[in-house]
Parts: sequence; C-alpha cells; structure tokens
Amino acid sequence: MPDNPRKLQFADVNDDVVRSLTQTGSAYYITLTVAITVTLVCFFFPWFYQLNYGIGAAGMNQPTVWGTYLASFIFWIGLSHSGTLLSCVLHITQSSWRKAMYRSAEAMTLFSLMVAGTMVMVHVGRPWFIHWTLPYPNQMGLWPNFRSPLMFDVMAITTYLTGSSIFIYMGTIPDFAAVRDRTTGWRHHMYVMLSLGWRGTDTEWHRLGWAYTFLAVLIIPLAVSVHSIVSWDFALSLVPALHQTIFAPYFVVGAIYSGTAGIVTVMFVLRKYMNFEHYITDLHFDNLGKLLIVLSLIWTYINALELFTAWYSGTSTEYEALKYKLFGYYAWLYWEMILFCAVAPLLMISKRFRTSFVPMLILSIVINIGMYTERFLIVGTSLSRQYLPDSWGVYVPSSVEISIMVGTLGMFSTLFLIFVKIFPSISIYEIKETMDQPGEAATSTPGTEGGAD
Amino acid sequence: MVSHQAVGLFPAPDAALAAAGKLKGAGFATPSLMSPIPMEGVEEVLGEKKSVIKRFTLMGGIIGGICGFLLAAGTAVVYLHPVGGRPIITIPPFLIITYEMTILFGILFTVLGFFISARLPAIRERVYVPEAAVDKFAVAVEVDDDAHFQKAESILREAGAEEVRAMKEEAA
Repeated sequence: MPDNPRKLQFADVNDDVVRSLTQTGSAYYITLTVAITVTLVCFFFPWFYQLNYGIGAAGMNQPTVWGTYLASFIFWIGLSHSGTLLSCVLHITQSSWRKAMYRSAEAMTLFSLMVAGTMVMVHVGRPWFIHWTLPYPNQMGLWPNFRSPLMFDVMAITTYLTGSSIFIYMGTIPDFAAVRDRTTGWRHHMYVMLSLGWRGTDTEWHRLGWAYTFLAVLIIPLAVSVHSIVSWDFALSLVPALHQTIFAPYFVVGAIYSGTAGIVTVMFVLRKYMNFEHYITDLHFDNLGKLLIVLSLIWTYINALELFTAWYSGTSTEYEALKYKLFGYYAWLYWEMILFCAVAPLLMISKRFRTSFVPMLILSIVINIGMYTERFLIVGTSLSRQYLPDSWGVYVPSSVEISIMVGTLGMFSTLFLIFVKIFPSISIYEIKETMDQPGEAATSTPGTEGGAD
Repeated sequence: MVSHQAVGLFPAPDAALAAAGKLKGAGFATPSLMSPIPMEGVEEVLGEKKSVIKRFTLMGGIIGGICGFLLAAGTAVVYLHPVGGRPIITIPPFLIITYEMTILFGILFTVLGFFISARLPAIRERVYVPEAAVDKFAVAVEVDDDAHFQKAESILREAGAEEVRAMKEEAA
C-alpha cells in the first residue's frame, strides 16, 4: 500500500478500516495469546495468591504503607490523561491532525482507567468491600465521608470513566454505521446494535456536532480535576515532601506528559501493524514530539521548583526528605528519572529525530519508564523518611508486587487488542473530512491538512 | 401509514445541497440529506437548525451541582462527625464533590439530549442508502404520488443526481 501512488478516495478509507476489523493475521492471535497469558500469569495469579495469603504478600509495611500498587495506579491514571484530554483540546481548537489518531488515544484513556481501577482493588487488600466506597442506601448504617480525598477520587474517577466511555462511543456512532453496512454475521448484528440506526442525515450530524463539542468542553476540566484529586490523596497528608501546594499541577503535567508519550507508542504500533501508514504520518509524530518537548520542559521546571521549595522551607524534615531523595537509598532511581524525563527528551529539539519513527518509539518508552519511576519515588521515598527516625525505613517491592506491575501491561495490551477489532481504530468520517471532497481538485493528503496548528 | 420518498444520489456535496434547495423552492417538504461526513452550508439552504442539547447540558449541570452538594452536605448532617469545633458543612471539600457531580450529570444529560433530538436509537425503519456512508451524498424528499415523484426525480436529475430511487418508510 505505501508504494501505491494513487490518491486515496473516500471508499478506500472504508475499505482500509473494515479490513483492519475483519482481516486478522496470525501475528494478531499470537500477540493476543501472549498478552492474555501475561495477564493471567503475572497479574491474576499473584493477585489470587495475595488474596489467599493476605496483604502481607506485598512488601508494604510500616512506615512505607503505600508501594508499587499505588505507583501503578497513579501511572495508569496518568497515562489515561492524554487520550481524551488531548483529543478534546484539539477538537476545540480545530486541529485537524487530531483526526487520524484520536480514536486510539481515547481508547488508551479508557483502558488505562480500567487498569488503574483494578490497581486500587489490588491495593486495598479486601476488594470485596470496594462497594463500601459508593454512596448507596444500605442497612449497615454505613455512608462514605465526603471530606476524604479518597472519596474525591471515587467520584472523580467514576465520572471520568463514564465521560470518556461516552465520548469515545459518541464519536464512533457514524463509523459503526459505516462498518455495519459492510460486515456480515455476528459482526453485522453487533454493529447494528452499536450504530443505533445512524443514517448520517443533516439533522443527525448537526446534533452530533453539538453534543460532541459539549462533551469535549465538559471533559477538559474533568480530566484536569481527576489528576489534581489524585495528587491530593498525597498532598493532603502531612508527610514531608508530599504536603506541597505544587502537587496538583505537578501531577497534571506529569500525567499529560506520560500520556502523550503513550500515544506515540500506540501510534507507532498501529501504524506498523494495522497498515495505517497513509493515515498516521510523520506529521503526527512531529506534532506529538513538539508537544512532548514542551511538556518535558514544564515537568522539569516543576521538579526544580519542588527541590527549591523543600530547600527554601528551612524545615529540617523537608530538608531531610530532600537529601534522602537526592542522595539516599533511592537516589539512583531519582537520577534515572531525571535522565529519562528531563534530559533525553531534549533530543526532540531536532526535527529529524521527531520525524523518525523508531527513535520516537524508543524515547516514548523511555519517558514512560521515567514517569513510572517518578510515581514510585513520590510514594516510596516520602513515606520512608518521615518526621522521626523511628518512622524511617526502606521499602522494596516483593515479587508479587513486581509481577502485578508487569501484569498490568499485559492487561492493558489485551484490552487494547480486543478494542482494535471491534472499534474502527481510526475515525472514518473525520479522516474523510481532511481529504479532498469528491468533485474537488486534489490538493492535500489525508490526515495532514492544517499542519501543526 | 407508509410515506413514499424520492432519493437522489449525488457524487459531490455541492450538487446535493443545490438539489435540496431547489426541491424546497419547488414546494416539496423539507428534504433530508444523508452524507458520509458533516456537510457545510446546510443551514443556509434548508433553514437554521436549533438544537435543544444545550438546554439539556445546562439542566444536567445544575441538577448535578445541586445533587452533589446535597449529597455531601446531607451526609455530613445525617452522619455527624465533629472535628475540633469546625463547621459540619465544610465548603472546600464539598465543592469538589459538587464539581464532579455537575460534570457527571452534564455529560449524562448531554447524551440524553443528543438521543432525543437526533431521534436515536431508531425504532422504526427509515429511508437509508448505504452508499451515503461511503462516498455518495443523498437527498431524500417525501412525495405524495407518482406525478409528484416524477417532478422530484426531474429536479434531482437536473441537479446532477447519478441515480434516483423510489423508497418507502413507515411514517412517524
């Protein structure tokens, strides 16, 4: 296909997308099998072991009572941020390069949120009482305390998950309809249900346009609030290095940063393995690269600010926490994070780097390793250096925790692999909008109109 | 009750839009367009479209906000938990719950408004041309009888329709 010089027509987009849904090669099945195996072996098996043995199977103990489970929770919530948020911002600002990639980015949001939700269940130890966090009438005289940041979390994440699911679904209704006409058997029945009888009339488009824009406008402040609230889980405690006002913006920027890097990874995989070379081009990588470098600079600034605040506070506890972070037991992780998230992204200053697919893929993974480390450090180093030396101690994740950490990757991949076979992973109608309209002279290539706006 | 429709298929959006305008000018009921992408300039030809969605969103937001605050404040009043003489109804944390519920209800009501105003999900068979989901632009107009259909067909053909179909749908 990439060698084909013929210009893409509207019908080609339908063909390509339907093909991506219906034609499945052996590589897909092998990847899916591996992903499911990793999920079962690395995630569910250790989790069942932990449920059976007790939460002591994890390395969390006094004073570090939060470990990699919560680090994974923040990581996956963070990764969820770029998808829907970026898609909404680019929709409002009418950036047309969004159109080729937003569907998969939104799916990333949805699945990272699901994984994050599961991480909470793993962390709490007694997940069968998870419904106690919900305000529902019951006979136990039990009702949640809405002053707790954990309750803010429950409300925010539930809302975000609902909002993101609705947003991705609404944007896909016209595409479900397009796919419905082309499929047979169980697929056809599924798409008949999912497309709700969409016909593409002027009234339907008009209503969809309005509803979609309203949703985008509602979801932007929601996404910002979600990670601010996650940060308050920590910042509203009185632990040195966690009790900081910078935490909300710090978390939000970190979230968008790692999420954007995640989009680069996903785009690379889609482009390579779903044959979407026509739609996801170097222009997208270039724009994402520019975005990443801006985010990395903001992130670096906030990190410097965090160090400065701790030093300038003149408080012995803050100062001790700072010293421990820079030179203590976990110092090598701190400097690894700085190298991966503050120094390495500077490579993207070069346009040649931004438009090279493999280097961008490697860098995006490196950034996310660094961002995972950041989350681990926030949780781990702060709690292991509290006020008095009797509450000092080192936390090392147990094999159960490390295995579950790896297993989340498998879970995310499994969900995403199922997604690409059910949802059109690029938006048919929005790609068409960026193409030449039938009956017009050929001027542009799909997905690239508008440039880096 | 069955409604008869003349449906013209056009290769380009401009021709379809022009045909719709002519049909309307010739005294037909307001035609409906079907297209693979949102068409520009429909409102200039077929008249301004008003959507009730924004009212739904606003109502949802207001209801959500009130419910959110009442949920948090009501909980605090019913399950008293005095903390060092501080107020029972504490504004800053409750504003967060209010904020989240405002957005949640705003989103849910927007979806409701969309379904109601776009008449989805469809509960009866309606005129549909699968080509309009690929690369054709269709104009559908209601006709009373054969003579009426022929008049519509001639207008559609004149405007550049590649094909004109006679179709039926259950009337609302």
